[in-house]
Amino acid sequence: MKLLTTVLFSCIFLATYLTADAIYEFDNSVEEKRFYSLISEIRCPKCTSGSIASSDVPVSRDLKQKVYELILAGSTDKEIKAYVTDRFGASSDYKPAFEGANYLLWFGPFIFLGILMLIFLSNRRL
Amino acid sequence: MRVIYRSLIILLPLIVLITYGTILITDQDDALVYFEPKEFPQFDLQDLEDREIDLAAFNGISLLNVWASWCITCLVEHPFLTQLSKNEITVIGLNYKDSQLKAQQWLGKRGDPYLFSIYDPRGDLAFDLGVTGAPETFLIFNQEIIGHIQGELNQEKWQSTLVPLINAATMANR
Repeated sequence: MKLLTTVLFSCIFLATYLTADAIYEFDNSVEEKRFYSLISEIRCPKCTSGSIASSDVPVSRDLKQKVYELILAGSTDKEIKAYVTDRFGASSDYKPAFEGANYLLWFGPFIFLGILMLIFLSNRRL
Repeated sequence: MRVIYRSLIILLPLIVLITYGTILITDQDDALVYFEPKEFPQFDLQDLEDREIDLAAFNGISLLNVWASWCITCLVEHPFLTQLSKNEITVIGLNYKDSQLKAQQWLGKRGDPYLFSIYDPRGDLAFDLGVTGAPETFLIFNQEIIGHIQGELNQEKWQSTLVPLINAATMANR
Protein backbone atom coordinates (compact mmCIF):
# COMPACT_ATOMS: atom_id res chain seq x y z
CA MET A 1 0.00 0.00 0.00
CA LYS A 2 2.78 2.36 0.95
CA LEU A 3 4.63 1.51 -2.27
CA LEU A 4 1.53 2.17 -4.35
CA THR A 5 1.02 5.58 -2.73
CA THR A 6 4.66 6.46 -3.37
CA VAL A 7 4.42 5.44 -7.00
CA LEU A 8 1.17 7.35 -7.52
CA PHE A 9 2.56 10.50 -5.92
CA SER A 10 5.73 10.30 -8.01
CA CYS A 11 3.53 10.05 -11.09
CA ILE A 12 1.72 13.25 -10.13
CA PHE A 13 4.96 15.15 -9.57
CA LEU A 14 6.57 13.73 -12.68
CA ALA A 15 3.57 14.79 -14.75
CA THR A 16 3.87 18.44 -13.70
CA TYR A 17 7.59 18.27 -14.38
CA LEU A 18 7.03 16.92 -17.90
CA THR A 19 4.35 19.44 -18.89
CA ALA A 20 6.35 22.48 -17.77
CA ASP A 21 7.98 23.05 -21.17
CA ALA A 22 10.36 25.85 -20.30
CA ILE A 23 12.03 26.61 -16.99
CA TYR A 24 14.13 29.74 -16.83
CA GLU A 25 16.90 29.69 -14.28
CA PHE A 26 18.79 32.78 -13.27
CA ASP A 27 21.89 33.46 -11.21
CA ASN A 28 20.20 36.21 -9.22
CA SER A 29 16.74 37.55 -8.51
CA VAL A 30 17.44 40.89 -10.25
CA GLU A 31 17.82 39.15 -13.61
CA GLU A 32 14.77 37.06 -12.89
CA LYS A 33 12.66 40.14 -12.12
CA ARG A 34 13.94 41.85 -15.28
CA PHE A 35 12.99 38.78 -17.31
CA TYR A 36 9.42 38.62 -16.04
CA SER A 37 8.87 42.35 -16.40
CA LEU A 38 10.30 42.32 -19.94
CA ILE A 39 8.17 39.44 -21.17
CA SER A 40 5.07 41.15 -19.81
CA GLU A 41 5.98 44.27 -21.82
CA ILE A 42 6.54 42.55 -25.17
CA ARG A 43 3.50 41.98 -27.33
CA CYS A 44 2.83 38.52 -28.71
CA PRO A 45 3.04 39.04 -32.50
CA LYS A 46 0.57 36.24 -33.18
CA CYS A 47 -2.12 37.38 -30.73
CA THR A 48 -4.80 40.07 -31.05
CA SER A 49 -3.68 41.51 -27.73
CA GLY A 50 -1.54 40.03 -25.01
CA SER A 51 2.06 39.80 -23.90
CA ILE A 52 4.43 36.94 -24.70
CA ALA A 53 4.25 36.10 -20.98
CA SER A 54 0.59 35.20 -21.39
CA SER A 55 1.03 33.29 -24.64
CA ASP A 56 2.33 29.87 -25.54
CA VAL A 57 2.36 30.08 -29.35
CA PRO A 58 5.70 28.99 -30.89
CA VAL A 59 6.83 32.51 -31.77
CA SER A 60 6.20 33.69 -28.18
CA ARG A 61 8.19 30.75 -26.88
CA ASP A 62 11.05 31.70 -29.22
CA LEU A 63 10.84 35.31 -28.06
CA LYS A 64 10.92 34.36 -24.38
CA GLN A 65 13.90 32.10 -25.01
CA LYS A 66 15.69 34.94 -26.85
CA VAL A 67 14.96 37.44 -24.06
CA TYR A 68 16.28 34.86 -21.57
CA GLU A 69 19.47 34.35 -23.58
CA LEU A 70 20.01 38.08 -24.01
CA ILE A 71 19.62 38.70 -20.27
CA LEU A 72 22.16 35.98 -19.52
CA ALA A 73 24.49 37.51 -22.12
CA GLY A 74 24.32 40.80 -20.22
CA SER A 75 22.15 42.91 -22.53
CA THR A 76 20.33 45.88 -21.02
CA ASP A 77 16.51 46.14 -21.09
CA LYS A 78 16.79 48.85 -23.73
CA GLU A 79 18.98 46.69 -25.96
CA ILE A 80 16.60 43.75 -25.64
CA LYS A 81 13.59 45.89 -26.55
CA ALA A 82 15.48 47.32 -29.53
CA TYR A 83 16.38 43.77 -30.57
CA VAL A 84 12.72 42.74 -30.53
CA THR A 85 11.26 45.87 -32.15
CA ASP A 86 13.87 45.71 -34.94
CA ARG A 87 12.45 42.34 -35.90
CA PHE A 88 8.77 42.40 -34.95
CA GLY A 89 8.01 46.12 -35.32
CA ALA A 90 7.63 49.05 -32.93
CA SER A 91 4.15 47.88 -31.90
CA SER A 92 5.66 44.86 -30.14
CA ASP A 93 6.74 47.13 -27.29
CA TYR A 94 3.86 47.60 -24.84
CA LYS A 95 5.75 50.31 -22.98
CA PRO A 96 7.29 52.66 -25.55
CA ALA A 97 10.35 54.61 -24.40
CA PHE A 98 10.07 58.30 -23.42
CA GLU A 99 11.80 59.75 -26.48
CA GLY A 100 11.33 61.36 -29.88
CA ALA A 101 7.94 60.90 -31.51
CA ASN A 102 6.80 58.79 -28.54
CA TYR A 103 6.23 61.97 -26.50
CA LEU A 104 3.18 62.56 -28.69
CA LEU A 105 2.02 59.04 -27.91
CA TRP A 106 2.37 59.52 -24.16
CA PHE A 107 1.13 63.09 -23.85
CA GLY A 108 -1.09 63.35 -26.96
CA PRO A 109 -4.34 62.58 -25.10
CA PHE A 110 -3.58 65.18 -22.42
CA ILE A 111 -2.68 67.80 -25.03
CA PHE A 112 -5.92 67.03 -26.86
CA LEU A 113 -7.89 67.26 -23.62
CA GLY A 114 -6.16 70.56 -22.77
CA ILE A 115 -7.05 72.06 -26.15
CA LEU A 116 -10.67 70.97 -25.75
CA MET A 117 -10.82 72.50 -22.25
CA LEU A 118 -9.36 75.77 -23.57
CA ILE A 119 -11.93 75.93 -26.36
CA PHE A 120 -14.87 75.32 -24.07
CA LEU A 121 -13.61 77.63 -21.30
CA SER A 122 -12.90 80.51 -23.66
CA ASN A 123 -16.33 79.96 -25.15
CA ARG A 124 -17.97 80.35 -21.71
CA ARG A 125 -16.46 83.80 -21.11
CA LEU A 126 -17.65 85.15 -24.43
CA MET B 1 -21.25 81.24 -32.73
CA ARG B 2 -22.50 79.54 -29.59
CA VAL B 3 -24.49 77.07 -31.69
CA ILE B 4 -21.36 76.04 -33.57
CA TYR B 5 -19.43 75.42 -30.33
CA ARG B 6 -22.32 73.54 -28.81
CA SER B 7 -22.68 71.33 -31.85
CA LEU B 8 -19.01 70.37 -31.31
CA ILE B 9 -20.13 68.37 -28.27
CA ILE B 10 -21.93 66.02 -30.60
CA LEU B 11 -19.73 66.42 -33.67
CA LEU B 12 -16.32 65.76 -32.05
CA PRO B 13 -17.16 62.35 -30.59
CA LEU B 14 -18.85 61.49 -33.88
CA ILE B 15 -15.72 62.41 -35.87
CA VAL B 16 -13.55 60.36 -33.51
CA LEU B 17 -15.96 57.43 -33.76
CA ILE B 18 -16.05 57.51 -37.56
CA THR B 19 -12.27 57.89 -37.87
CA TYR B 20 -11.48 54.96 -35.58
CA GLY B 21 -14.36 52.98 -37.03
CA THR B 22 -12.93 53.25 -40.54
CA ILE B 23 -9.45 52.32 -39.28
CA LEU B 24 -10.88 49.19 -37.66
CA ILE B 25 -13.05 48.24 -40.63
CA THR B 26 -10.34 48.73 -43.28
CA ASP B 27 -8.44 45.56 -44.11
CA GLN B 28 -5.09 45.94 -42.35
CA ASP B 29 -3.32 44.24 -45.26
CA ASP B 30 -3.79 47.39 -47.28
CA ALA B 31 -1.69 49.24 -44.73
CA LEU B 32 1.26 47.11 -45.83
CA VAL B 33 1.46 49.10 -49.05
CA TYR B 34 3.48 51.58 -46.97
CA PHE B 35 6.18 49.17 -45.89
CA GLU B 36 9.39 50.61 -44.53
CA PRO B 37 12.29 48.87 -46.31
CA LYS B 38 14.58 46.76 -44.16
CA GLU B 39 17.97 45.26 -44.85
CA PHE B 40 17.93 41.49 -45.33
CA PRO B 41 19.43 39.90 -42.20
CA GLN B 42 22.67 37.94 -42.34
CA PHE B 43 22.38 34.19 -41.98
CA ASP B 44 24.45 31.06 -42.01
CA LEU B 45 22.24 28.35 -43.50
CA GLN B 46 22.24 25.93 -46.45
CA ASP B 47 19.41 25.02 -48.75
CA LEU B 48 17.34 21.83 -48.54
CA GLU B 49 19.90 19.99 -50.69
CA ASP B 50 22.78 21.12 -48.39
CA ARG B 51 24.11 23.53 -50.98
CA GLU B 52 25.46 27.00 -50.17
CA ILE B 53 22.99 29.85 -50.72
CA ASP B 54 23.71 32.09 -53.70
CA LEU B 55 22.85 35.59 -52.48
CA ALA B 56 22.75 36.80 -56.08
CA ALA B 57 19.23 35.34 -56.15
CA PHE B 58 18.13 38.27 -53.99
CA ASN B 59 19.09 40.81 -56.65
CA GLY B 60 16.20 42.31 -58.57
CA ILE B 61 12.66 41.37 -57.56
CA SER B 62 12.12 38.11 -55.72
CA LEU B 63 9.70 36.61 -53.22
CA LEU B 64 10.79 34.77 -50.10
CA ASN B 65 8.03 32.41 -49.04
CA VAL B 66 8.07 30.89 -45.56
CA TRP B 67 6.70 27.36 -45.70
CA ALA B 68 6.73 24.00 -43.95
CA SER B 69 5.42 20.52 -44.64
CA TRP B 70 3.28 20.74 -41.46
CA CYS B 71 1.65 23.97 -42.64
CA ILE B 72 -1.87 23.55 -44.03
CA THR B 73 -2.25 27.05 -45.46
CA CYS B 74 0.99 26.53 -47.39
CA LEU B 75 -0.87 23.82 -49.31
CA VAL B 76 -3.62 26.30 -50.12
CA GLU B 77 -1.26 28.91 -51.57
CA HIS B 78 0.97 26.35 -53.29
CA PRO B 79 -0.85 26.48 -56.67
CA PHE B 80 -0.68 30.29 -56.70
CA LEU B 81 3.04 30.28 -55.92
CA THR B 82 3.58 27.73 -58.69
CA GLN B 83 1.71 30.01 -61.08
CA LEU B 84 3.79 33.03 -59.97
CA SER B 85 7.07 31.15 -60.39
CA LYS B 86 6.06 30.30 -63.96
CA ASN B 87 5.46 33.99 -64.69
CA GLU B 88 9.15 34.82 -64.40
CA ILE B 89 9.03 35.84 -60.74
CA THR B 90 11.77 34.33 -58.64
CA VAL B 91 10.25 32.56 -55.65
CA ILE B 92 12.69 31.46 -52.97
CA GLY B 93 11.55 29.19 -50.15
CA LEU B 94 12.35 29.47 -46.47
CA ASN B 95 11.66 26.06 -44.99
CA TYR B 96 10.62 26.86 -41.42
CA LYS B 97 10.99 24.54 -38.41
CA ASP B 98 10.64 21.44 -40.53
CA SER B 99 12.45 18.17 -41.02
CA GLN B 100 14.64 18.02 -44.10
CA LEU B 101 13.25 14.68 -45.22
CA LYS B 102 9.60 15.69 -44.81
CA ALA B 103 10.23 18.96 -46.62
CA GLN B 104 11.90 17.19 -49.56
CA GLN B 105 9.05 14.68 -49.74
CA TRP B 106 6.48 17.51 -49.65
CA LEU B 107 8.16 19.21 -52.62
CA GLY B 108 8.54 15.90 -54.44
CA LYS B 109 4.86 15.12 -54.05
CA ARG B 110 3.36 18.54 -54.84
CA GLY B 111 5.95 20.15 -57.10
CA ASP B 112 8.66 22.65 -56.29
CA PRO B 113 7.89 26.29 -57.17
CA TYR B 114 11.06 27.51 -55.44
CA LEU B 115 14.39 28.38 -57.05
CA PHE B 116 15.76 26.84 -53.85
CA SER B 117 14.58 26.57 -50.26
CA ILE B 118 16.69 27.81 -47.38
CA TYR B 119 16.62 25.11 -44.69
CA ASP B 120 15.95 26.78 -41.33
CA PRO B 121 15.04 23.98 -38.88
CA ARG B 122 15.38 26.11 -35.72
CA GLY B 123 13.83 29.22 -37.26
CA ASP B 124 16.94 31.40 -36.80
CA LEU B 125 16.68 33.41 -40.01
CA ALA B 126 12.90 33.43 -39.62
CA PHE B 127 13.25 35.02 -36.17
CA ASP B 128 15.54 37.74 -37.54
CA LEU B 129 13.01 38.38 -40.31
CA GLY B 130 10.20 38.72 -37.75
CA VAL B 131 8.30 35.65 -38.93
CA THR B 132 5.40 34.81 -36.62
CA GLY B 133 4.32 31.58 -38.34
CA ALA B 134 3.84 29.97 -41.72
CA PRO B 135 3.00 30.92 -44.39
CA GLU B 136 4.46 34.38 -44.72
CA THR B 137 5.87 36.05 -47.79
CA PHE B 138 8.54 38.74 -48.08
CA LEU B 139 9.06 40.89 -51.13
CA ILE B 140 12.74 41.47 -51.81
CA PHE B 141 14.31 44.02 -54.11
CA ASN B 142 18.10 44.15 -54.48
CA GLN B 143 18.82 42.43 -51.14
CA GLU B 144 16.34 44.65 -49.31
CA ILE B 145 12.98 43.62 -47.84
CA ILE B 146 10.35 45.94 -49.27
CA GLY B 147 7.15 44.09 -48.38
CA HIS B 148 5.74 41.51 -46.00
CA ILE B 149 2.53 39.47 -46.06
CA GLN B 150 1.34 37.25 -43.23
CA GLY B 151 -0.89 34.34 -44.09
CA GLU B 152 -2.00 32.98 -47.43
CA LEU B 153 -0.72 34.71 -50.56
CA ASN B 154 -3.42 34.77 -53.24
CA GLN B 155 -4.30 36.67 -56.39
CA GLU B 156 -6.15 39.35 -54.42
CA LYS B 157 -3.31 40.07 -51.98
CA TRP B 158 -0.79 39.89 -54.80
CA GLN B 159 -2.70 42.55 -56.73
CA SER B 160 -3.57 44.80 -53.79
CA THR B 161 -0.29 44.73 -51.87
CA LEU B 162 2.69 43.29 -53.71
CA VAL B 163 2.14 44.61 -57.23
CA PRO B 164 1.97 48.28 -56.07
CA LEU B 165 5.16 47.76 -54.03
CA ILE B 166 6.94 46.17 -56.99
CA ASN B 167 5.85 49.03 -59.26
CA ALA B 168 7.00 51.64 -56.75
CA ALA B 169 10.38 49.97 -56.29
CA THR B 170 11.11 49.53 -60.00
CA MET B 171 9.90 53.06 -60.79
CA ALA B 172 12.21 54.58 -58.18
CA ASN B 173 15.18 52.67 -59.58
CA ARG B 174 14.65 53.42 -63.24
